[in-house]
Amino acid sequence: MAEITFDNVSKRFGATVAVNAASFTVRDNEFFCFFGPPLSGKTTLLRLILGLEVPDEGRILIDGKDVTRTGPAARNIAMVFQNLALFPHMTARDNVRFPLVERGVPAAQITARLEEVAAKLHIGHILHKHPGQLSGGERQRVAIARALVRDPAAYLMDDPISALDARLREEARVELKRMQREAGRTLIYVTHDQEEAMSVADRMAILEQGVIRQIGTPAELYDRPATSYVAQLLGAPVMNLIPPGLFATRPGAALVGVRPEDLRVTPDPAGRAEVTGVEPLGGYTVLTLRAGESQLRVLLRGQPAFAPGQRLHLDAAEERLHHFAADGHRLAG
Amino acid sequence: MTSAPTPEKDDGAGLGLRLTLPAQVLVLFISLFPLLMQLYISLTDWSPLSGMAWPRAWEFWNTFANYLDLVSDDRLWSALGRTALVMAVCVPLEFGLGLALATLFVDDFPGKRVAYSILIMPMMVVPAVAGYMFFMLFQSGGPVNDILSWFTAEPVSIAWLSDPTLALIAVMAADIWQWTPLMFLILLAGLVGVPDDQIKAATLLGASPVQRFLTIVIPRMKTIIVIALAIRCIEAFKIFDTLYIMTGGGPGVATETISVYIYKITTQDLIWGYVAAIALAILLVLSLLAVWAMRRMAK
Amino acid sequence: MSAIHLQGLVKRFGQFTALKTMDLAIADGEFMALLGPSGCGKSTTMNMIAGMERPSEGRILFGNQDVTGLPMGRRGVGFVFQNYAIFTHMTVRQNLSYGLRMMGRPASEVASRTGTMAEMLGLTALLDRPAAGLSVNILQRLAIGRSAVMEPAIFLLDEPLSNVDAAFRAVMRTELKSLQRQFRQTMVYVTHDQLEAMTMADRIAVMDHGVLQQVGTPLEVYNDPVNTFVARFIGAPGMNLLPGRLLQHAGGLCVDLGPLGISAPLPGPLAAAAASAPAEVIYGFRPEEVQLDPAAPLGLPLTVTERIGARSILHLGEGETSVRAVFQSGEPLPEAGLVRFQPAAAAVRLFDAATGRAIRGV
Repeated sequence: MAEITFDNVSKRFGATVAVNAASFTVRDNEFFCFFGPPLSGKTTLLRLILGLEVPDEGRILIDGKDVTRTGPAARNIAMVFQNLALFPHMTARDNVRFPLVERGVPAAQITARLEEVAAKLHIGHILHKHPGQLSGGERQRVAIARALVRDPAAYLMDDPISALDARLREEARVELKRMQREAGRTLIYVTHDQEEAMSVADRMAILEQGVIRQIGTPAELYDRPATSYVAQLLGAPVMNLIPPGLFATRPGAALVGVRPEDLRVTPDPAGRAEVTGVEPLGGYTVLTLRAGESQLRVLLRGQPAFAPGQRLHLDAAEERLHHFAADGHRLAG
Repeated sequence: MTSAPTPEKDDGAGLGLRLTLPAQVLVLFISLFPLLMQLYISLTDWSPLSGMAWPRAWEFWNTFANYLDLVSDDRLWSALGRTALVMAVCVPLEFGLGLALATLFVDDFPGKRVAYSILIMPMMVVPAVAGYMFFMLFQSGGPVNDILSWFTAEPVSIAWLSDPTLALIAVMAADIWQWTPLMFLILLAGLVGVPDDQIKAATLLGASPVQRFLTIVIPRMKTIIVIALAIRCIEAFKIFDTLYIMTGGGPGVATETISVYIYKITTQDLIWGYVAAIALAILLVLSLLAVWAMRRMAK
Repeated sequence: MSAIHLQGLVKRFGQFTALKTMDLAIADGEFMALLGPSGCGKSTTMNMIAGMERPSEGRILFGNQDVTGLPMGRRGVGFVFQNYAIFTHMTVRQNLSYGLRMMGRPASEVASRTGTMAEMLGLTALLDRPAAGLSVNILQRLAIGRSAVMEPAIFLLDEPLSNVDAAFRAVMRTELKSLQRQFRQTMVYVTHDQLEAMTMADRIAVMDHGVLQQVGTPLEVYNDPVNTFVARFIGAPGMNLLPGRLLQHAGGLCVDLGPLGISAPLPGPLAAAAASAPAEVIYGFRPEEVQLDPAAPLGLPLTVTERIGARSILHLGEGETSVRAVFQSGEPLPEAGLVRFQPAAAAVRLFDAATGRAIRGV
């Protein structure tokens, strides 16, 4: 059980505001992800949750209890480090037991907890091995088992799979998602990879220079970004943001956004767009177009035949357009 | 919200100071107390022969007389000059040799580990023993003369340690033998620390080995070179044990360096107020040298 | 002149063979990606082209000139290191002009060529800044410019984007590609990221375990992988590969996929080719080519759904019998239970289960 609430929390380091008036609630058993570019305040938020930093303003509550000034030891929150930090000279079993042995928990209780966690994470059959003999995924499971064995209210992960190859990352994130479902518990996760964030998170918070710009499910954030900043952080290729004129525009809009997959193109010698680049990716093709003064990217399924120089008719369904005011905020409607 | 200090907020400086205070006091006491004591004695004419304990040295107060004396002390000045000469000859030679050897040892070659062990062995030898070894080597019937006589094909019997110039050369040879390995070790660490990619990048851009050495290796090692030179300069300035065993500062005072001179007037003349004045003056000179070196390094 | 020919190239390190007989021809002005997992021999190949390693066997030709024995400083290749290897103790200008200065070119020539290159790369304003502490995209441009100013006919790039943030990589890819268009040199690009290879390269050489697996355009290796390794390595996610047995069923040659069911009859040319193949096969199809259909012959339980912006990935089944299916996010998708599906007929690929080699219909 753990619900973590930030109530208007700010943290400054000298003149820099690392976290600015953050308010949010991470729900029990939720996979919650902080996402933002480097130095946007993700790590400071983690440290505030762990109790390694004390906020300058605001309150932090765990299950309704004010822990703003409670030290890390009393918060019962576990951390899985980026490099996993397994002890190489110990077996997986000893690694997992370690936090309990350290705390002097009775042996019978340790065994019971160990079995419970091992069953949940499906690592019973590898407990006798040393970390060096385990695959990357298995090591990750062992590290998470070690975090969960002392029954923490929640556990945190700071960019745990960023060091892996692109191919392994795709598998690891699905694995991670399943693991969190199976093991339960609130998981707070930090990443700078938008694809990873959208893949694993139940809900995510988007950070920009210490300010939480939007919180919601990945689908909500992707489909209805609250600001043009959020719109550009999610999605690959990134959303096209162009001055009004090319598409039907609402009054007050300074920028019109349209996702590359929402653009429709058909060959048309009199069309207003010209193909400047074709990137066939196999399952998808990315076209780069020039229309008026704007450059746009189009994501198409399959391997359609387009060639640079070709002219196209270009449009997008009105409900797929995003309108942003001059200050970057989404226009209602 | 409250702005009263909480224990956590105090973490920064307060707690750190409290935790390290005992150690800081100890360090201060260890380094500061002897210094102040020395300063005090240097302003007096006190000697252990005076029959009084040093705290009562004020009874022999002579203000700056000791400092004025050392200005006109010819023996001191020639010892200082000699020390500077040893430094000026030995340190560059040790640096050159050390750098050359270190360059050799960056790449692998058969027998590297053995050669490495042999090379750094002189550094491990107790300086007094090294002094004794070189004392034996430079005897008039010693191996050095034997080797020279092989080359010249006639018997050589140079009295190395009895000739003022040759004795100094012998002393320098011993110093170079003993301390080139340290230079080698420090410079090797520096050389190994030059990223391989940078060397390769320079090679691919057409730089010759000499150009690579001058434009990449040396600039990247600047800090370590300054440190190595500073350590050896300071150490060479204090040269004592090897030399004392080889020549005892002789013949006469021909190989007397600062340390040997101080040692002699401390143990033979027992003019401790004067000794303290010399020691403080040297400390001042060395400190200025060190500051200068640091400044250069920071640039 | 700047075509590259690798002929029977072998590289051994003691007992270990890093590269087993590599033959590859890279055309003048071509952008060739050497793609593979770590330890596949791609970097060894690159290092031999640069002259950092000597091949144990074989020859390297630039145009008609045999450069196998030529030391690395005299091959005239540009090289961009993974960490860029910028001389951080120099200014941007000193970095750019380094090669020309070392060659002893006259000062006026050094100044003008450095200036032109800085202009081209947008580095003019930064010329007198120290190279330490520049941002990563500036470093990349500087690394390229430092080599390009020497006007090498051949450019080698060793995973230049692997230290770059995921978010920034797309920007860097675009920039790199436009730089290549500008310089029009022969480029060899080493990477383990299939997306980088697919987006930038004219042709891709896929490598594994010191063996060249396949050479072709991005679409060739994507559409017609020669073996299961290439099939799995190219694409995100890679091709679905399911072990099965050929059998006659429902009036055609089908594949029995065990717990999944029996596939639809293979299309004509593929069936003809499979007729003479061993019965044990691997049945492959791209995740993008999966069709959902309650009447479809194959079925697996849904385990996880990933929605990543424009795409949704369904993960079906587990372990050996797992299938990933990619859909556009708008499409209606099942949320749980058994999912029935089949690959589009034209998308089916077969591989020999014993050798992993593709069985091709002509």
